[in-house]
Amino acid sequence: MTAPLLKVQGLKTWFDTPRGMVKSVDGVDLELRRGEILGLVGESGSGKSVTGFSLIGLVDPPGRVVDGRIEFNGEDLRTASPAGLRSLRGDRIAMIFQDPMMTLNPVLRIGTQMIETVRAHRNVSRAEARAKAVEALGKVGIPRPAERIDAYPHEFSGGMRQRVAIAIALLHEPDLIIADEPTTALDVTIQSQILAEVQKLAAEMGLGLIWISHDLGVVAALAQRVAVMYAGRIVERGTIDEVLDTPRHPYTAGLIGSTPMANVRGQPLRQIPGSAPPPLGRPEGCPFRPRCAHATDICRTEPQETLAGGHGWRCFHPLQDAAEVRT
Amino acid sequence: MTITPPAARAVAVTKRFQRKTDFADRLAIRLGIASPPPAVHALDAVDLEVGKGEVVGLVGESGCGKSTLGRVIAGMLPPTSGHVEHDGKDIAQLRGKAARDMRLATQIIFQDPMSSLNPRKRVREIIGEAPRVHGLMPRGGTRKLVEDLLARVGLDPAMADRYPHQFSGGQRQRIGIARALAVNPDFLICDESIAALDVSIQAQVINLFMQLRAELGLTLLFISHDLSVVRHISDRVVIMYLGRVVEEASTDAIFDTPRHPYTEALLHEIPRLDRRARSFSPVKGEIPSPVNPPSGCHFHPRCPFAMEICATTRPPLLDVAAGHRAACHLNGGQGRLPLEIQNHTQD
Repeated sequence: MTAPLLKVQGLKTWFDTPRGMVKSVDGVDLELRRGEILGLVGESGSGKSVTGFSLIGLVDPPGRVVDGRIEFNGEDLRTASPAGLRSLRGDRIAMIFQDPMMTLNPVLRIGTQMIETVRAHRNVSRAEARAKAVEALGKVGIPRPAERIDAYPHEFSGGMRQRVAIAIALLHEPDLIIADEPTTALDVTIQSQILAEVQKLAAEMGLGLIWISHDLGVVAALAQRVAVMYAGRIVERGTIDEVLDTPRHPYTAGLIGSTPMANVRGQPLRQIPGSAPPPLGRPEGCPFRPRCAHATDICRTEPQETLAGGHGWRCFHPLQDAAEVRT
Repeated sequence: MTITPPAARAVAVTKRFQRKTDFADRLAIRLGIASPPPAVHALDAVDLEVGKGEVVGLVGESGCGKSTLGRVIAGMLPPTSGHVEHDGKDIAQLRGKAARDMRLATQIIFQDPMSSLNPRKRVREIIGEAPRVHGLMPRGGTRKLVEDLLARVGLDPAMADRYPHQFSGGQRQRIGIARALAVNPDFLICDESIAALDVSIQAQVINLFMQLRAELGLTLLFISHDLSVVRHISDRVVIMYLGRVVEEASTDAIFDTPRHPYTEALLHEIPRLDRRARSFSPVKGEIPSPVNPPSGCHFHPRCPFAMEICATTRPPLLDVAAGHRAACHLNGGQGRLPLEIQNHTQD
């Protein structure tokens, strides 16, 4: 058994706001092996993006990682020096955002930005850096990379821009990529082109990938394992088959059940009642309690994770079998 | 004649957007030192029919003209050519009360409720304004109407005095729906009305639309890029690509026997929970710009089955089966996909 590439334990990222402490991430455990794709799924406000930002040390004040361990290749990133973290970012760990214009500077040619990125981490000549950039653009399926490298970001379409952002992430063949909803803004046919490239590259390069998404369908197609977040916590995690076929947490089951494909056409969709609690008004104990049909008094206390092999869930009343999942 | 006319019908509707030229531009164009501004071909001779009480799903990717078509049918945008009929009457010919009644009977619900609700007005005013202005309610009667509408869309009537920012995204969308219902419409155009919502909230709003349709007998034009949602809610589906309708049929026919390679590709690309660890085989290439669409069939540069004729001749939208129309040159205009593709669609 190889050591995991990334091991996160008890991660807490809180934002100290004038209205109170917003506990965006409140005790997250994750594990990722080399060459593995992990889907991190949740609705808006669940803390999935803040988790991604926390891993790479990009949480802005008033946010702060207040507790937990982030072990990357055996090294604790929380105790790493700013300089040490800086040399890891962009080199061993890279991030891809939903909006590629967050990565790209609109007034610089993409070549300029890519060469800069290469030379920030490697002592190479401009010509060598440029060759490396052209190679990366070719890898993500940009036609005529040697010409397109001199174009500005606005000369690319949305899908192509996202490919450029992925190429920048791949420049140093990182060990870990954190991708935050990178295909959410794209059209279906363009999304599947990007997913196809990512799937191929992840397999070829053996990189670890955390794919943050609200779309269970995308994660089902792409990832080997999935973690479901709700109100700052991971409520269920396991392999894709474990979590999608035998969900134990009522929230996971509710999410699966509310997709149109899981329902008879024309019949009302099975819906989760209510909406996610606001970050400053989360109920004590299990945060899903007010929306859950199975909740009892014990749910007022904090549920701990139950682990069966690699499949874990935080619930006092886990669903037992497929029949129960459907109700 | 006892045949009831469709709730809405678009006949050969074309819409081009072009930047307005000022005096200097016109002078430069006349002198031959500048060319006229390029036109965006948003809609290219589109026919669409929405029957009374029917739910029609209008599907396509960005730039295909689905939102423009929704707005032209709602009467918010005049078509460049062609015309739109409501209940058999050309809406451009309506004047006075008839025009006003037509506009009230057709309401549109937008994608982003935050930008379509006035942030400085209370919900009571947002919902009650239109019926008051149009004199549909006696003075003082709107209070009860607003509360009834809030209850109908699943919100607590006690929240009528709050502002939009005090609601969550799903609740705001319900307010938008209540506002549309306030003038008693019989035709709703939903333009990506659930795209911005979370999965669990999407299900609630889809259920609300289905419930409203059943209770009020509404006609719906449901514009969306999400085929799985459209499949769930629609009776009939219309697929658009770059300003043209490429295929239309009953929902079952579209999903079971697609006759256009673009429809086939879209169906194949929907992310689904039961399609796991699959290898993607996406259609190649980008969506071309509507400023300069490809010749012939707009899809031919990306189509795996493109033939010579596809680059030169626009395929007409032909009947390929009862109630099923496709615009494709394959197999003599029948749009029948090669056999191996058909098998793979049906699994």
